[in-house]
Amino acid sequence: MKQKLDLDEIIVKYRPILSFRIKKYLGHQNPDWEDVVNEIITNVIEKIKKGEFRGESSIGTFIYTISSRRIVDYIRQKSKTLKHIPEPKNFPAPEQEFESRQRAKTLTEAIQKLKPKYRKVLHLYYYKGLSRNEVAEKLGISPRRVSERVDYAQKLLRKIIKK
Amino acid sequence: MKKCNFDILIDDYLLNKLEKKEKENFEEHYFNCEPCFEKMVARDELIAVIKNQGHRIFADEERPEEKKEVFSFGKILSFLTPKQWAYAAVSVSVTLVLLVVMLNVVPFQKKTTPTQQPFYYEFDEGRVRGENLRLISPVIDIEAVPSQFMWAPLGDNVEYKISIYFNHHPFWTATTKENTISLPDDVKNRMQASRKYSWQVKAFSPQGTLLAVSPKVQFKITAE
Repeated sequence: MKQKLDLDEIIVKYRPILSFRIKKYLGHQNPDWEDVVNEIITNVIEKIKKGEFRGESSIGTFIYTISSRRIVDYIRQKSKTLKHIPEPKNFPAPEQEFESRQRAKTLTEAIQKLKPKYRKVLHLYYYKGLSRNEVAEKLGISPRRVSERVDYAQKLLRKIIKK
Repeated sequence: MKKCNFDILIDDYLLNKLEKKEKENFEEHYFNCEPCFEKMVARDELIAVIKNQGHRIFADEERPEEKKEVFSFGKILSFLTPKQWAYAAVSVSVTLVLLVVMLNVVPFQKKTTPTQQPFYYEFDEGRVRGENLRLISPVIDIEAVPSQFMWAPLGDNVEYKISIYFNHHPFWTATTKENTISLPDDVKNRMQASRKYSWQVKAFSPQGTLLAVSPKVQFKITAE
């Protein structure tokens, strides 16, 4: 019972982390990402049940290592079989799409409410794609201050959205 | 949210600026650090929104400089006290008088400043050369070869010359009276993934006078 509870916790905790990493490697539009995540989770559970996780590393590192191997396998397999076949598009579920559009809209409005000095740093750093040093030079502040300003902008956005 | 020393790597990771080893180390880290993962997810969402909606969000920032100067003038006024303004006015007056005496010129010619002018209506020779022209799309890295290029229109009767560069060498150029242009298929086929290209647009009056020049903007086609 104890082990089952732990496994459930592991799935709940690591599914979003795994999904994030797998989508980053496979591409957000790749329809395979969810299957790959499920395969990794199944693999992790099997290995834990077989006692292959001995606690020499953290459970996070254990799952990270398994996911790394699966990513390599996936890329190898894909490059062999689907080298010249275009990827089909993955259409998210309508409710998922609606929710994510709403979130994007709220965030867009929140950014527009920020003070100019925060908008400026987001504009140069993320939209214009300048490096941290280039942004610092343009704004006459230190590169460290650029990161701090971005962090603070994010905090303000959270506050604006919560209101 | 708890602060972690690794969190300075979040932006570089999301913007693909980390070396392979650094990237793997950071990935292993966020499997073990909840605050970093949470912050990264929020940052990833922010970056995605900015990349997709940036042209709308930052429309003000993207406008030519002179328009913003008008806005900031009011702010400058409030920075100094009336006494400080008086000192400043006296200093400026003295400087101007000295200039008149030394250079024997009249500095108070009535001249309209660029801030009072809509920059795209000035078609007469030598007035608006080199004004800014705003590029709309693509201005960031994109997943596929762009089929269309778009910039802010400058008014009627303007001819635009678009130039695309690869490795600082001209790759393709064309002229149009619209503020968008579609790439011909042969050009699209020549553009390759993982390469960086840049593009620029110049605007000309019907007489061939250069009216405005955009900055040269770089973009990369990221898809494999």
